[in-house]
Amino acid sequence: MTLLTQIRSSKSVTDGAAQTADLALSADVCVIGTGAGGAVTAATLAEAGHDVLMLEEGGYYTSDDFTARERDATKLYQEGMQRTTADLGITILQGRAVGGTTVVNWTTSFRTPEDVVAHWKEKHHVGGFAYADLVPHWDWIERRLGIAKVDVDAMNPNNRTLYDGCKALEWQVDTLRRNVHKCVQLGMCSLGCPMNAKRSMLVTLVPDAIDAGARLVFRARADRFETAGGEVGLLRGTLLDASGRTPTGKTFTVKAKRFVVSGGAINSPALLLRSGIDDGGRMGRRTFLHPVIGSGGLYSEPIRSYTGAPQSAASHHFAHRDDEVGFFLEVAPWYPVTTGTALAGFGKEHFDGMKKLENLALHLAIAIDGFHDDVDGGTVSLRPSGMPLLTYPIPDRLWRAFRFAQKRLAEVQFASGAKTVLTLHDPPLALASVRDLDRVDSRPYEVGRLPVFTAHQMGGCAMGDDAQTSIVRSEDLRHHTLTNLHVIDGSVFPTSLGVNPQESIYGLSRLMATRLAQRK
Amino acid sequence: MARQRDLAGDLELTVDRRTFLKRGLFGGALLALGGVGLGLWPGQEIAAPLRSLKILEPKAFQVLVAAATRIVVAPGADPVQIAHTVDESLTYAVPEAKKDFNGLLLLLENALAGLVLDGRPVPFTRVGGEAQDEVLLAWRDSALTVRRCGYHALRKICLAAHWSQEASFASLPYAPPTGLNANAYPDSKWGAS
Repeated sequence: MTLLTQIRSSKSVTDGAAQTADLALSADVCVIGTGAGGAVTAATLAEAGHDVLMLEEGGYYTSDDFTARERDATKLYQEGMQRTTADLGITILQGRAVGGTTVVNWTTSFRTPEDVVAHWKEKHHVGGFAYADLVPHWDWIERRLGIAKVDVDAMNPNNRTLYDGCKALEWQVDTLRRNVHKCVQLGMCSLGCPMNAKRSMLVTLVPDAIDAGARLVFRARADRFETAGGEVGLLRGTLLDASGRTPTGKTFTVKAKRFVVSGGAINSPALLLRSGIDDGGRMGRRTFLHPVIGSGGLYSEPIRSYTGAPQSAASHHFAHRDDEVGFFLEVAPWYPVTTGTALAGFGKEHFDGMKKLENLALHLAIAIDGFHDDVDGGTVSLRPSGMPLLTYPIPDRLWRAFRFAQKRLAEVQFASGAKTVLTLHDPPLALASVRDLDRVDSRPYEVGRLPVFTAHQMGGCAMGDDAQTSIVRSEDLRHHTLTNLHVIDGSVFPTSLGVNPQESIYGLSRLMATRLAQRK
Repeated sequence: MARQRDLAGDLELTVDRRTFLKRGLFGGALLALGGVGLGLWPGQEIAAPLRSLKILEPKAFQVLVAAATRIVVAPGADPVQIAHTVDESLTYAVPEAKKDFNGLLLLLENALAGLVLDGRPVPFTRVGGEAQDEVLLAWRDSALTVRRCGYHALRKICLAAHWSQEASFASLPYAPPTGLNANAYPDSKWGAS
């Protein structure tokens, strides 16, 4: 038994902010990032007897730090929740802490759809594993994280409106599986679980790795690799102060036999670009976001979307639309800041909307990008400061999907009893009934007219067996030419997934780490 | 070479925020003129900062206080506190975004840009409240992406600053959970089968 409260102060854990001298570190395997990819990889390798060093740019926060207040959660996100695409058109929600995005996600757990794995093999030359190879690893992670299906009766009203609306329209809908154990339904998953009921990497695989002998240095930003002779020889990085934002002036280096990059989409390709590894211009390209639009349903009865499991229902009724971009439907909670920033307008009119918070449901349409030639995602490049910049031009086909999805969101909300449906356009568009659906077409669909956000970042370091079209091999996620460099995280997906990504990352990471563990 | 060509192509399509500002407002020449304009039509000091500023320039702080006054209309809303909260939250931003947010506020203030784009030859801080609303709406409805996105960035960061404060919850039908038991499940192996 390892008490979570003791791990942070154990000898195996080093706070970069507290160092008074530069660090010179070494290990068999250096894993950069402690989210869904890094934690699974580190634990698997450490348990197999490898000397593992984990690095994390973010802080090591625990349930003691999770106050269920949005104000206190900004530090858990990249750029304090202010990360956006280059044109500010898409808000990017991505974790930055020990445990990565798993600390702040909504616990939704899907295995990768079988048809997606088949598509990767057919279109993206991913021949290094089959769907069946992933199954035992998903079985394992589901046991370890307590992933289980939610009962219909356990859904909160926000999810229930989606579920009931889809049922009324005879659309496919089901309850979700979540990685929680004895969840008390606080509804604060995206602010860090104050109860440790969420089985994130923070409270499971990171402690497992440390139990097995791995070391962790947090507030340690990986800056660049030095390469020579077809290998990475050294990693150079910067130690950050207690705020997690400012360099202390101290640095670190890591020598390792093998390096695993697990910084997630956007950050992993950025590290490689800073290292001069651009692979003929492919690095950072085809970054996918599952771009999301929302719809506010105003109901007579209280919804209180901010309590209860944030996500417990989903519909994939529109996931496959042939020539058009598919999407799936889920929900999100309205907290005060979420509501304040999502509702249109300003001044008194905006406050009038805020006062309806208790009766608002928020349904989401999550677009499945990467499966059409002209919906080929965004590109990560570097800012002058070396920090990543994601450019994601939204193509017409995607805007068309949003317009279609906006109407479907309104339909499902009216079908479950909404009195008014608000698109999130600014100026706002309020629909009184399904007879108003055509009014959705009266509004422009373009950047800065309708908020778009993403909580699922994928791609940018695509796996594949063709070195001319991918970054890492699919058999072991090793870089095509740098023989001791691997990328194991969501950035290796050649497309988006059509489902929430955490379990796909867990399964693929454990498969690959198991393969690596057999190499000494 | 291929990467260099691609990067050049990228930069055509994927300009950073500062370049966006320049191009969106008819090129860098206008931005330069905007600086001159700030000198010719100085803004008004709305309120002195309560403490030293971390990211915001003094002029930008004044514009932000003026904008927050119009954007956040709710019981207990304090535009000076909002501006300070924004200043603090910007410490999380990347260096380029910090610079651009200051630039955005100065552009909003800029009377010359206001004259060219909206027929408003007066700094934002010197026009009346309703006229400030009109300026914000002009940015919202602009054909220029940079102004629309700038409006939303400003609006969202002010609203987030206010509604992140515990005191603001009193005016909402919202109560966050209390009495959290942080160590309800203290063991890392807890729940593992």
